[in-house]
Amino acid sequence: MKSVVEILREIRPEFDFTASSDFIADGLLDSFDMVTLVAALDKNYGVSIPGTDIVPENFQNRQTIETLLRKCGAQL
Amino acid sequence: MTLIQSPADVFAAVQKVKAGASAFCTNFFPVESKLQGWIARQELSVEPAAGAVFIFRNDRDFRHLYFCAANPGALEQGMAALPDLKTMRLATDLVGKDSTLDPLLAALEKNGFRRHLRLQRLARIDRPETAGNGPAAGFAEKADCPAILELIESSFDRYGEQLPLPYEMEAAIAGRQALTVKRDDELAGMLFFETQGKASTVRFWAVAEKFRARGVGSALMHQYFQIHAAVKRFTLWVDARNENAIQKYRHYGYAPDGLIDHVLVNEMIPA
Repeated sequence: MKSVVEILREIRPEFDFTASSDFIADGLLDSFDMVTLVAALDKNYGVSIPGTDIVPENFQNRQTIETLLRKCGAQL
Repeated sequence: MTLIQSPADVFAAVQKVKAGASAFCTNFFPVESKLQGWIARQELSVEPAAGAVFIFRNDRDFRHLYFCAANPGALEQGMAALPDLKTMRLATDLVGKDSTLDPLLAALEKNGFRRHLRLQRLARIDRPETAGNGPAAGFAEKADCPAILELIESSFDRYGEQLPLPYEMEAAIAGRQALTVKRDDELAGMLFFETQGKASTVRFWAVAEKFRARGVGSALMHQYFQIHAAVKRFTLWVDARNENAIQKYRHYGYAPDGLIDHVLVNEMIPA
């Protein structure tokens, strides 16, 4: 199973996601990337992230993404 | 069709489709601020269907059609049941890697949509910029708004390229997201961009016909890169048939990143 950071790097290899605490404000992820990321996370972790949770604050950084995944039942 | 009153209406409609979806697909990727603006101006409405939901956004004399569907089959069937498909002027688009879009293209084409435009995304990764020698470019002023809109309307495709409405252009000017070059108080060229943190997108870059081949476009682009020294990723969408524009963007270090946007229109929009 890939880690969250590995999935992020696959989507945007040019950015260092470990150096940012706010992927959205820093411009590391755009709205299309968010939908791509959700699909990749769903598939990788065998969950279905609800549409109501696809909001910027849940994708701010690695920690918020992992919190969201745990809430959806993912085993990290 | 129901007017959307809040972002929660959108999320709830999407969630109904996404829960248990076998191959969830969508063309709805709004940033939150835009979504809120569309709702505040009562531009969005929603039409649910079995296994899909359709969102309409008013634009000039037509509507953009967005969808969320459990899978391409649900999209095709849900769309076939849409009551407004045969009476409204509709434009829609599909974004993704070319190879992945065929089932969705087929679903739309079976419902009377035809291919109108193919946009290609170009990206430029952190390439150092040298200074230009052209005329001076500066931030657009409020009074430039009508001329900028006229230049955009005459240079780009209204169905496929998300042309700004006056309120959007005024906000962009106020937010210093538009550059211009002027000649004797006349608009010679403009560049409209959106920047978020370390990423920036050129929305529109155009030079008025009578000012072409005079370094105007180059001045705009150099100024754009100069004020974005901290940006790591530059992107833009360009008509894939427009070899001239693509060549110009290549000159500035842009290259295709593999993402395609197929724009389709329905039969209510004349060819």
